[in-house]
Amino acid sequence: MALAIRKSTFSILATARCIVPREFRGLSSLPETKEDVAQDVAKRSTGRKIRFQNPALEYRHVYPEFLPDPNPKWRNTLREKMERADMLKRRSQIDIPEFYVACENQSVTDLYRTYKTLTYIYPVSSPTSFEPFIRVSGTGIISRTGSVAHYSLDEGPPKGSKLVSDDTRYIYVKLKPKPWLERWERQELKGVANIDEHLKEKDKVRRELRKTPWEKYDLMKQYRKTIPAEDQNEIWGEVHNQLNQLRLSRKKMFKKRPVSAPKTQLA
Amino acid sequence: MATSNMKILCSTLSRLRVDHISIRQNAFYKPPRYRPPHWFVPKERVMSEDLLTQENRDFIEEIIQDKRNSQIALESPLAHAEQQTNEWNPFTRRVGLIARKIGNYPLWSKEGKKYQTTLLQVVDNHVIKYIPPEQFNPMKTAKVQWKEKKTLGCLLVGSETVDPSTVTKEYSGIFNSVGMLPKRHLFRFMVSPHASLPTGTPLFATHFRVGDHIDVRAKTIDRGFQGVMKRWGFSGMPASHGVTKTHRRPGNIGGGGEKARVWPGTKMPGHMGNRWRTLRGVKILRINTKYNILWTLGVGIPGETGAVCYLYDTVLPLKKLKTAPPFPTHPASDDLPLEYYDETIHPFEGETILFDEV
Repeated sequence: MALAIRKSTFSILATARCIVPREFRGLSSLPETKEDVAQDVAKRSTGRKIRFQNPALEYRHVYPEFLPDPNPKWRNTLREKMERADMLKRRSQIDIPEFYVACENQSVTDLYRTYKTLTYIYPVSSPTSFEPFIRVSGTGIISRTGSVAHYSLDEGPPKGSKLVSDDTRYIYVKLKPKPWLERWERQELKGVANIDEHLKEKDKVRRELRKTPWEKYDLMKQYRKTIPAEDQNEIWGEVHNQLNQLRLSRKKMFKKRPVSAPKTQLA
Repeated sequence: MATSNMKILCSTLSRLRVDHISIRQNAFYKPPRYRPPHWFVPKERVMSEDLLTQENRDFIEEIIQDKRNSQIALESPLAHAEQQTNEWNPFTRRVGLIARKIGNYPLWSKEGKKYQTTLLQVVDNHVIKYIPPEQFNPMKTAKVQWKEKKTLGCLLVGSETVDPSTVTKEYSGIFNSVGMLPKRHLFRFMVSPHASLPTGTPLFATHFRVGDHIDVRAKTIDRGFQGVMKRWGFSGMPASHGVTKTHRRPGNIGGGGEKARVWPGTKMPGHMGNRWRTLRGVKILRINTKYNILWTLGVGIPGETGAVCYLYDTVLPLKKLKTAPPFPTHPASDDLPLEYYDETIHPFEGETILFDEV
């Protein structure tokens, strides 16, 4: 970017989406894995009751930043409403491309949400459908698994990374030797190829000891991390009209613009 | 003769009582009587099953709704009042507002700087009663000297109308005597006599202006009984290196030698939070007139989200009001802009500002 649009940085970051698959999907804003989608389709075809009738609920994957922090201590419907209105007002002024980020800080939401956009995926495969298309630019490497992904800072040169296959389009990261910013081996990251190379026997033993395999069954914990369906219905009912319009206008703009190779952009 | 004397002696002795003891004391001394303000009456009511039929319940609900509607429809007394002859001057004390802290989120300045703000919502504020300085006679305490006793009147302001059946009869009576519905919060503001307001005047967020500074008084978050590390920020002691049983303890608390006691005021574990604190000189950055929300600079306002706080014009000499604010308050009007922004703040719907890369 020739011009540094400092004012709008937050909004650009705020539109960023996360591409991290996760086990639990209840009302999470995180996208589903392929198998889950297939299962859902199977369920629908067998005539079982569809869980969420409201199509606007699908926005929770696209615009997770419109969901408030689930901590009940900080919830206030009016504050959230004003915040969403402000986010929409900002979006009406600047054109924010839909892109995916490598990493986001999951602990904050709304206008507070910050992202580390080491690399992001730009929707350029076709103008009508916003199919993710991977670009590896510069030294940034996509790290698309795990709820945290700033381990890219510890990674090696991009030459070592490889595209595994076309349908998954996963890129594996090769980590540099220790010291690391965090104990990556304990976080069950799926996008790292060579994590075992750098581990001592001690690290492997402790990784096993530190594992919490029961957490995926902890329904209460997952519930507390998500916004209930009733609240989400209200939120998406409020914003989905304006979001739709913004999306349509962006598509129109996309069609009009001259065809050229997209510039790589690093945040 | 002897028998009569004996009789007198016997009767006198029989009248003697052990439990009647006279104590020497100051005959003029009277202990200070606790004299709470008349509006300090119990508010919470024990709810009971009234065994009403559904029809009666509906009827009561209907009446309450009617009263509420009539109060909403009530026109501000300021609308009919004659042109205010009273002028604001720098020594005037205006009424304040009762607000609720509803959360934090950032605003951006025109230079692209991010400001953390706290949102305060002014909910349904009405003037309940004015007590002129001659009649206002608060209880004297040893600590507080009421220097302004004779100069300032007392203005009661309530916020958030509640169902009258959920509060006690006494509490409801305070409001009923002036023809209002009971409020959840009732608070006293000391005001100059010429800044007084008639009963039933609604107060809005526009009572303050953007760019003005306010003092916010609220109760801090109740953290319960805490140790010295959390309460006073002590460092504690090492986690390892042979340290046992003393990781979060205060260590020495002084004393010993000739003192042979602990100095008063020593920092020790104890109850933390739930105290009244005033944050002074908070700048107002933005006002929403529809929902009566104030965006105030900073996140230092005491209390958790949902806490009730009281807003005043600031007393800080450099941040005091310099020009006349809405006086005695901003009247209700429909043709106000939806939002007021401080001049430093960039509105969200404003055009993007582009900076040249340096």
